[in-house]
Amino acid sequence: MEQVKTEDCAGESAGAFVFQSRPNHSLTRPQERLVFWSLAALCSAMALGFALMGYWLTLPFAGLEIGLLAWAFKVLRGREGDYEALMIEGDVVVLEWHVGTRGERREMNRHWARVACDCRTPGRNCRLSVSSHGRATEVGQYLSDEGRLQLAATLRSRLQG
Amino acid sequence: MSDAAHAHDDHSHGHPSGIMRWLTTTNHKDIGTMYLWFALIMLFSAGTMALLIRAELFQPGLQLTNPDFFNQLTTMHGLIMIFGAIMPAFSGFANWQVPLMIGAPDMAFPRMNNWAFWLLPVAALMLMSSFLLPGGAVAGGWTMYPPLFIQGGISYDLTILAVHIMGLSSIMGSINIVTTILNMRAPGLTLMKMPLFVWTWLITAYLLIATMPVLAGAVTMLLTDRNFGTHFFNAAGGGDPVMFQHIFWFFGHPEVYILILPAFGIVSQIIPTFARKPLFGYASMVYATASIAILSFTVWAHHMFAVGMPAAAQLFFMFSTMLIAVPTGVKVFNWVATMWKGSLTFETPMLFAIAFVCLFTIGGFSGLVLAVAPVDIQLQDTYYVVAHFHYVLVSGALFAIFAGIYYWLPKWTGHMYSETLGRWHFWLSVIGMNIVFFPMHFLGLAGMPRRIPDYALQFTEFNQIATVGAFIFGFSQLVFLVLVLKTIKGGAKAADRVWEGAEGLEWTLPSPAPYHTFETAPVVK
Repeated sequence: MEQVKTEDCAGESAGAFVFQSRPNHSLTRPQERLVFWSLAALCSAMALGFALMGYWLTLPFAGLEIGLLAWAFKVLRGREGDYEALMIEGDVVVLEWHVGTRGERREMNRHWARVACDCRTPGRNCRLSVSSHGRATEVGQYLSDEGRLQLAATLRSRLQG
Repeated sequence: MSDAAHAHDDHSHGHPSGIMRWLTTTNHKDIGTMYLWFALIMLFSAGTMALLIRAELFQPGLQLTNPDFFNQLTTMHGLIMIFGAIMPAFSGFANWQVPLMIGAPDMAFPRMNNWAFWLLPVAALMLMSSFLLPGGAVAGGWTMYPPLFIQGGISYDLTILAVHIMGLSSIMGSINIVTTILNMRAPGLTLMKMPLFVWTWLITAYLLIATMPVLAGAVTMLLTDRNFGTHFFNAAGGGDPVMFQHIFWFFGHPEVYILILPAFGIVSQIIPTFARKPLFGYASMVYATASIAILSFTVWAHHMFAVGMPAAAQLFFMFSTMLIAVPTGVKVFNWVATMWKGSLTFETPMLFAIAFVCLFTIGGFSGLVLAVAPVDIQLQDTYYVVAHFHYVLVSGALFAIFAGIYYWLPKWTGHMYSETLGRWHFWLSVIGMNIVFFPMHFLGLAGMPRRIPDYALQFTEFNQIATVGAFIFGFSQLVFLVLVLKTIKGGAKAADRVWEGAEGLEWTLPSPAPYHTFETAPVVK
């Protein structure tokens, strides 16, 4: 798991319940560019220097490493859009999640939705899910156990209310 | 949020147990633990080789080994200690501590983290098994200089492959650490608020990423010289063996700082805790670390004054080497200033940290002596050099590792270690270490060459003293092993904030730190 931060844990507007959460990203795009290009320039300059002296076999390794670094930053960028959201409005419960290139939006009837929070030990290692029609969807991936327990209690009261 | 049937990598739910847990784990704490155990096993393996070396050197003449096997021992001791013990130990610390210190739930690339670790035992197995090959293990020195490394048997190819694999592991680990530190810091934890240990690892990871392609290229060129008829370093074909030394040390000197910067970080965490004062000159410590890293690219040829180079080049490398003493001096000054008028207590981590400051400084000073080109030409390849780098790497890197383990072990295991055993380990190690390596200065000044199993009679007494010290130092590490095992098994319950003066996010967590931590990022004010 690489999630870090939960934003806007729960809020209400005009009777609707909205929960949104996303991972923390402390690296801004300009910082990312600075880090990547500084490392790439350093590696390339050194490899190129040796290559110009005839020791060219440093070049492919520098290239591979810069490629791996580029891939790593690309994956990090791809994760910037990760989020999970749960909305309860009227009789409709909407679940949305997006991780990397995968994502899903699921709607269920509030009266059929069931909240389950299973902890392996009391208050620890908890897994929160909302299920309907025999299919469970996990919620609160980016939350701590305390956060999941709190969200479970809120959801139960919301779904019953 | 995801479909429960395709849930994310959550180890708390139905994760494998037994050996599969350790093979497949992506949890930073599990991987950190594996790195540390691996490093300890390698420390004992390479340490046993060191004891064999010292046993042989107890008296002149050949007792236990033949010269070739002796050189295999010295070569493998160096390679395994550097790539198998010290570097993985610091990676273990990084895995355990970096996410806890920056408020992240794990590393940025947990699966890559798993791969980075598991490459290491493969490489270590390759290295160690080369003892069983025809011709034995590599005997050309850990620096892999041609022509010896071009002429050796199959174990040389195996060693080159092992170095490649360890380099790949280091690159994957470093990219993971850089991305984790930069992208997963808790809100409010700006760069200049990061703990010094995190800073030193960030800079170390930069150094690793910058230098690893150079090492990979160098050893690949050795490989092609050996097997594919190229002549990069083969003088017989017009190649230049001295150029290998330039390329190797262009990697090798930054590597020295890769081995010591995380040690600076650990000590910079410990001293303020036991002095109950904030670290003196935090910003200057960060800039000093960065300066050391930058300067490390400009000093490589001080390892090879004896091969011959123009006077201007000798002067340049001499002065640039001396320049490194400035940021290093800043660090030593700041550690001492942190202790100055502090409310000091001397638990085992602090004892090791103080020993680090004193003894590493001795290693630094002998380095300054060697930086002087005319002196270095006299002392090159003598025991003075052996004394110098062991003061830097044993009382520097290794003592910082011990200090860090004593410091964070209660957080990792949930139990306090035995302070009595810790003190026994400390005093035996410090006394033993000085008995081994201090006389080597005199041996070197008297002209005893390194990597030789036999020696002139005049060197006997100091060698005997060093060997006695080596066995004291070596066997005292068994005390450490017993202490670690006892602490894992039980002991007094550790508080969340184990040390009264400890500051930082890791101390806000329960002891032992739960399997999953900081799933919700803390906010740092």
